[in-house]
Amino acid sequence: MRKRLLCLGTVLLACLSFFTFFSTKTQAAEKTYTIGTDITYAPFDFQDSNGHYTGIDIDLIKAIAKEEGFKVKLKPVGFNAAVQAVEANQMDGVIAGMTITNARKQQFDFSDPYYYAGEVMAVKQGSSIKSLEDLRGKKVALKVGTLGASYANSIKKKYGFTTTEFDQSNDMYNDVTSGNSAAAFEDYPVMAYGIRNGMKMKIVTKPKAGGSYGFAVKKGENQELLTKFNTGLSHLKKNGQYDKIVAKYLGKSAQAKEKKAATSNDGLLSLVKQNKSSLLSGLGQTLYLTFISIILATILGVIVGLMQVMPVKWVNWLSSIIIYIFRGMPLLVLALFIYIGVPNLTGSKISAFVAGIITLTLNEGAYTAAFVSGGIKAVDPGQMEAARSLGLPYGKAMRRVILPQGVKIMVPSFINQFIITLKDTSILSVIGILELTQTGKIIIARNLQGFKVWTIIAIMYIVIITLLTWLSKFVERRIND
Amino acid sequence: MSEQNLKVDVTDLIKDYGNNHVLKGLNLQVKNNEVVCMIGPSGSGKSTFLRCLNKLEDPTAGQIVIDGHDISNKNTNMNHVREKIGMVFQHFNLFPNLTVLENITLAPIELKKMTKQKAEATAHDLLKNVGLDEKANAYPASLSGGQEQRVAIARALEMQPDIMLFDEPTSALDPEMVGDVLDVMKNLAKQGMTMIVVTHEMGFAKEVADRVVFMADGHIMEEGRPADLFDHPKNPRTQDFLRKVLNA
Ligand SMILES: Nc1ncnc2c1ncn2[C@@H]1O[C@H](COP(=O)(O)OP(=O)(O)OP(=O)(O)O)[C@@H](O)[C@H]1O
Ligand SMILES: [Mg+2]
Repeated sequence: MRKRLLCLGTVLLACLSFFTFFSTKTQAAEKTYTIGTDITYAPFDFQDSNGHYTGIDIDLIKAIAKEEGFKVKLKPVGFNAAVQAVEANQMDGVIAGMTITNARKQQFDFSDPYYYAGEVMAVKQGSSIKSLEDLRGKKVALKVGTLGASYANSIKKKYGFTTTEFDQSNDMYNDVTSGNSAAAFEDYPVMAYGIRNGMKMKIVTKPKAGGSYGFAVKKGENQELLTKFNTGLSHLKKNGQYDKIVAKYLGKSAQAKEKKAATSNDGLLSLVKQNKSSLLSGLGQTLYLTFISIILATILGVIVGLMQVMPVKWVNWLSSIIIYIFRGMPLLVLALFIYIGVPNLTGSKISAFVAGIITLTLNEGAYTAAFVSGGIKAVDPGQMEAARSLGLPYGKAMRRVILPQGVKIMVPSFINQFIITLKDTSILSVIGILELTQTGKIIIARNLQGFKVWTIIAIMYIVIITLLTWLSKFVERRIND
Repeated sequence: MSEQNLKVDVTDLIKDYGNNHVLKGLNLQVKNNEVVCMIGPSGSGKSTFLRCLNKLEDPTAGQIVIDGHDISNKNTNMNHVREKIGMVFQHFNLFPNLTVLENITLAPIELKKMTKQKAEATAHDLLKNVGLDEKANAYPASLSGGQEQRVAIARALEMQPDIMLFDEPTSALDPEMVGDVLDVMKNLAKQGMTMIVVTHEMGFAKEVADRVVFMADGHIMEEGRPADLFDHPKNPRTQDFLRKVLNA
């Protein structure tokens, strides 16, 4: 028994050091700053048709870095993930079309404003709605946490409309173009850029209640980076480079070029062809996450499952607590807690990928533990008694007699759990891991073809789940023979 | 009768399951080569008593000495003591994931008591003795109940035990198979094995037992030579029990 516990401890320790190895790697290097950006916020942050992240924010921070002599490591993880990562000290700064507000100033220090953007209301092309007054009794689509959303919320009583909030700009636009919502509120440049690039909407109000965008660092930290940004920005404004960058995305010449990429008449196949490399790398990341998580979750699950049936009270207890906590916590909450919360508590960064692996290992491991202990308990207790009565110690009896019978009972649950793990990787898009689902969101942010892209992504999931099922069934047959 | 000659020495054994007092202070001594049959009504604690002897149940109080090892002492290595106590269960408990031969050789090989060759040779001999050598490579699922129980006996004997415990070894069997199993047990008794047999087979007890023990309500009510106990029971509970089973 002692030996077993020792063994268990060693495995856990090994896992831990594996994680810390990865986590310390990100801390190294001098004068390189990790900057979070949005991914679906054209023309400030988006992926171009070649799969490169681009936009006013990206060009600006790169130009400033060059001007001021530092390096940036861009982390295109999405607005929410980027903001939270900076709060958790996981990243040094965020540039993501972030409006400077008093509430945000409680948590962040902002640079000088680098762009002024007013809020506008946009409706579907051909809609009869022409003003705020026409919104009475209608529904309005908003994007979570944007100034457009708070502006709309502040006037919704007065004009008598209701609101629905979306995580992605594209979902918000789609809700309007599909006729679900009557209008959307968004920063003028964003809306104008989208419309120029083929979105079937029109702007019906003048920019109002606007705010200014600023580059942000965590309050009280990275002050030298902030200073460099401000100096760099004022240089760029003086030497004309700033205007060039803005014109590149909002000027007349920009329109024609991008328009071509965003015609919504592409067939599925040509969409796949255009985005082949992003889709493949998203798929690769999903498979990689799944594979590592399945292995680690299985190890953890078997250990915790065995702890559940061991004839030692406190070990059973510990196992029950582990299962209770990690099975009870929604995966999304667990992922955010580990990625955002743990670095806040411990002060050391972990990469989104490692956080994702830990999340899946704990969650899937808890489910695995539950059916492993269930499978062992389903074996006739007379089997253990017979083995022990021959003088076999507990461990040998478990390994040679009980587990071989229990595993057969568990196999279908294992297969099921593998498939669930694969699907659950999609939830990790919230912490910015570029797996298949996140890849889909990014492609849509560029080409605004939500329905077709989600169709492609769905088919890809179904295909790999089918392959995984076949593989598992094959292994199951081998075990049962 | 010297102390060394005692294979089993139980003193004031008590076993409670919470408020359920199952064994209420049992005393029993079994000599080398002795065959003791235990009879008694259902729920009287016969199985519990037998399971205490190899610590499948933890006694609440009392002392149990097996072959000179005080197993009520926490420091006694139970695995070593168990190797010397063969146990045969009502429902056989063969390992379905292993063949007949593997069932028998698993423990001696795992515990490094014998080499694989030696273990298998011994197993084949034992299987011949119980008339099942041709089933060596079969899986338990393909055997009849009577065959399974004979394999289970061979499995227990492979460890060359000093004592054999049987808990109603024939009560899960079809009547026509009972005989084969009882024959194996009779042979064993003849060879001088020390045995404690919980059974409802009164014929077997009469023929084979050196001593019969009648248990009821967690007490040993009466014990004696089979002829005495069966023909002239003294305790009214014994009389009542025997009337019921013999007239059934
Ligand atoms: N694990 C347990 N937990 C609680 N009570 C138990 C347990 N095992 C046995 N008992 C109780 O102990 C009492 C004696 O049971 P035991 O199996 O020893 O009787 P028995 O004499 O072998 O009966 P039978 O002839 O039916 O096999 C019964 O009342 C039973 O309910
Ligand atoms: Mg019983």
